Amino acid sequence: MKRFFALVFAPLALAALLGATAVPPAHAEESAASQNPFPEQQTFGSFDKSQLQRGFLVYQTVCASCHSLNALHYRDLAALGLDADQVAALAAHVTINDRAATPDDRFRNPFPNPAKAEAAFGGAIPPDLSTIANARPGGPRYIFALLTGYQQAPSGFTVVAGHYFNLAYPGNRIAMPPPLKDNQVSYADGTKASAAQEAADVSAFLDWAANPDLDARKQIGLRAVLFLVFLGGLAVATKRRTWTDI
Amino acid sequence: MSTETTNAAAATAGQSWLESRLPLCAALRTLLAQHPIPRDYSYGATLGALSAFTLLLLVLSGFVLALGYVPSEGRAFASIQETIRAVNYGWLIHLIHRTGTTALFALFYLRLFRQLRRGGYTAPGELAWFLLLAQFALLLVVGWIGFTLADGAVSYWSLNNALAGAAQLPGAFGALGAWFFGGAAANPGTLARMAIFHYALALAVIGVASLHFAARRAAAPALAPHAAVPFHPYGTTKTFVALVGFALIFAVLLFFHPHLDQSAENFIAATRLSVPVTVLPPWYVAPFAAIGATLPGAFGSVAIVIAAFAVLVALPWLDRKGVRGGLYGFVLGLLALDVIGLGIVGGTPPSAATTILGDLFTLWYFFHFLVLTPLLTGRPRALAPAKAA
Repeated sequence: MKRFFALVFAPLALAALLGATAVPPAHAEESAASQNPFPEQQTFGSFDKSQLQRGFLVYQTVCASCHSLNALHYRDLAALGLDADQVAALAAHVTINDRAATPDDRFRNPFPNPAKAEAAFGGAIPPDLSTIANARPGGPRYIFALLTGYQQAPSGFTVVAGHYFNLAYPGNRIAMPPPLKDNQVSYADGTKASAAQEAADVSAFLDWAANPDLDARKQIGLRAVLFLVFLGGLAVATKRRTWTDI
Repeated sequence: MSTETTNAAAATAGQSWLESRLPLCAALRTLLAQHPIPRDYSYGATLGALSAFTLLLLVLSGFVLALGYVPSEGRAFASIQETIRAVNYGWLIHLIHRTGTTALFALFYLRLFRQLRRGGYTAPGELAWFLLLAQFALLLVVGWIGFTLADGAVSYWSLNNALAGAAQLPGAFGALGAWFFGGAAANPGTLARMAIFHYALALAVIGVASLHFAARRAAAPALAPHAAVPFHPYGTTKTFVALVGFALIFAVLLFFHPHLDQSAENFIAATRLSVPVTVLPPWYVAPFAAIGATLPGAFGSVAIVIAAFAVLVALPWLDRKGVRGGLYGFVLGLLALDVIGLGIVGGTPPSAATTILGDLFTLWYFFHFLVLTPLLTGRPRALAPAKAA
């Protein structure tokens, strides 16, 4: 019996311990850009909703003029901690086909078709951002590095016309002009809108856009794992009990 | 006496109208509950049950995914995103299907290796072995088609490469390829065609799995009464332990590493205009992709992959059924490492190093089956007591 308890509770305690240590310490918001910009990237971490709201503001103000987010509907913003009225108000600010958008509209596509986008940017179509955080190794960290990676090109490095030097971009020549600068948006929660802060927030927002199920996934996952560990203890005990009599 | 008989008859009739007409419970009793298993029933023997469970999971989740899937170029990727985002627990069903695929292939690689270790392919187990191989080959096709259905950038170009390769094949292979893909180039109907093959071949897998089950049962050696225990409760409790352990690994993969099974670039919707830097196959196809890459041309690739399967099919004759020494066990361990190596080579962007390693690993693979196996299984069995596989 003792062994049974050890069997069941040792893994439980271990799992609980893991869970306790891996929960990110609550960070003050102002340090988001520097210290722990992506709490959702930790094993048991979840999205910081206020960060996602700030990130949406950056997307809507800056990115949305060139980048689509086709897989998302405005109603999905409810997951950022906004209520129905706030979502409806946000949607109403957007004009799609000469009418105000509703929560059930998809995010406005800045270009009616890829050909228009191609024409506008000399052949470089701004990619859709719906799954970009999953499509780039490193996810939000890569996006953050890219957004903050614009630099003066080192001497001897030729940057093609219409391109910019970027440390994080493969090949270092990127067609997207530096999109973010300090105070490009003003955050309602009083967070200082440095370029790095904006980059971190919008990277987290894009991570959410690509993985809207992340929080539910980890919550269900933790419960499933704990349940299965417990059930495993019972299963092993039952099996041992059964096999003793032969 | 007569009343008793009448009562008994009434009881049988009354107790189950259905059972007297369709004796399902009786079948389950003889097939599962009372089926004799050896006293040293191992966890390895539960792999088949775990595969059946995973296959069921894949069929059920696949059914739900198929309801929302739009099999047409340019829309398929978005339709999957819609299922993930707009269907209740769509993301979970999607991830069950993807993780289930990984799990099923992991189980199959383990099962194949287990049969190699036990010599389960020797008479009278050859047919069961062939059916296991057929199941595995079918699953590779079904899995790869499912990968192309994802319609990500990598999927799309993997499909296109296969189409281009099939168009180069001569004679009957070419005709088969043209029939399978419906033409030499991707057209608006290609994905719909792939979807139908995905569903149809998945059903075929279930059929072959049933045949395999029956053949494996028939090939099992008769057990002496003192050496046997009934499957229930002895097999069931052990299988349940295995199932929970399996589910635990499954849950950790699904909930905490959901994207481990595919390259990041497959999260980009497929377009005809941009080709990903490297078009890598899913991990379960990778060992065969590495073997295929050793010979030039589409025909060379197909031929050597068929040869790789052919040596497995020929195992009952390559194995000389003598005593297996410790050296043979060591060599089997090397084979496992070799296949893992092939998987890594097949899943890495091609370079000079991967080309050489791929050639070496492929060479070792054939060397193992064609030379080492006959050599190391040939010692006469006279001194050792006969041991049923």
